[in-house]
Amino acid sequence: MKVKVYSTPACPYCDMLKEFLKKNDVKFENIDVSKNHKAAHEMIEKSGQIGVPVTEIDGKIIVGYNVTALKEALKLK
Amino acid sequence: MLYDVIIIGAGPAGLTAAIYTSRRYMKTLVLSKGLSDQVTETPHIENYPGFKMIEGYKLIQKFEEQVRDFGVEIIFEEVVKIKPKKKGFIVKTKQKSYEGKTIILAFGKVPRTLNIPGEEKFTGKGISYCTTCDAPLFKNRIVAVIGGGNAALDSVLLLSKIAKKVYLVHRRDDFRGFEALIEDVKKKKNVELVLSHVAVKFKGDNILKSMIVESKKIGEKKELKVDGVFIEIGSEVKTDFVKNLVKLNKNDHIITNDKCETSRPGIFAAGDVTNTPFKQIIVAAGEGAKAGLNAYNYLHGIKAEIIIDWRKFKVIGG
Repeated sequence: MKVKVYSTPACPYCDMLKEFLKKNDVKFENIDVSKNHKAAHEMIEKSGQIGVPVTEIDGKIIVGYNVTALKEALKLK
Repeated sequence: MLYDVIIIGAGPAGLTAAIYTSRRYMKTLVLSKGLSDQVTETPHIENYPGFKMIEGYKLIQKFEEQVRDFGVEIIFEEVVKIKPKKKGFIVKTKQKSYEGKTIILAFGKVPRTLNIPGEEKFTGKGISYCTTCDAPLFKNRIVAVIGGGNAALDSVLLLSKIAKKVYLVHRRDDFRGFEALIEDVKKKKNVELVLSHVAVKFKGDNILKSMIVESKKIGEKKELKVDGVFIEIGSEVKTDFVKNLVKLNKNDHIITNDKCETSRPGIFAAGDVTNTPFKQIIVAAGEGAKAGLNAYNYLHGIKAEIIIDWRKFKVIGG
């Protein structure tokens, strides 16, 4: 499963999201869109969302820290 | 499933209530859209005893963990309706229905919205309510901040370092923030103050392109080209869905007495959603404890004032 997290450094929801993934042993790539502007554009294009966090799970986009949607996409209990 | 108590809201009040009710062996359910946004978005908390400093999101996660350890179910669904029945209440979320013998209302405050055309459509598509989260996405862009308090001024200062231009749209001529902050904002060369103006409409296609502001003095409208708007106009209680159930005060806060009872037997309330003064985490937690213990007393017909929560907790069947 390929998991990408688009985030910024001073965003509590991004931190919560990353901690949630770690707690569930999900490996992910963290992309800091405050530094990587190409990735920021990519995130906005894919999600239609100008806001963080955005998670991509095997091509599926989840906007915000949405535990229910994350659990479903990651097939977690 | 019939619960002894359904707690609506997962902030300091609701989660503390859940600790107390579960320790009294009440079958407890917490229903909430999510964990408290107000606590989560507070970067540093220095007035909650036991922690010299803790990030808001960490504190609320500690609350959640403790509550789950006591065997409480927390379900993240938004409550839309509460219906009284002969004995107890039906609580409807957007997805399902639940039944509780007692209810604790503890859903706190939410960021105030402008309620103008385009606001909902462009939220997350140019409009943001979290400056520290989303400001970096507007590098060299034109943005506006709406509001006149410290949160709005902080937001302007942060954005002025990232964006090309920042409009500060405020409905009054003067600010309610700290003097030092106001002076800092006025010194910024890329900040334009749009005072005595209110936002009346957001425009764009898939994303936000501009906003219309109207002068409070002469009624004249003008269009500001903006890529982003940050709304920082404080918070409010959203008690619409309980207004026919419990009495509210003129600010729409739920009226409670010193036992956290509302005007309807069996429904208790605690925290920022009530008329209790001081919207503080510790106050909300304390009121939550009271609401939980009084819900227990109500359920068991106990009239006594004081019940001490003394016992060491054992998980039933655990």
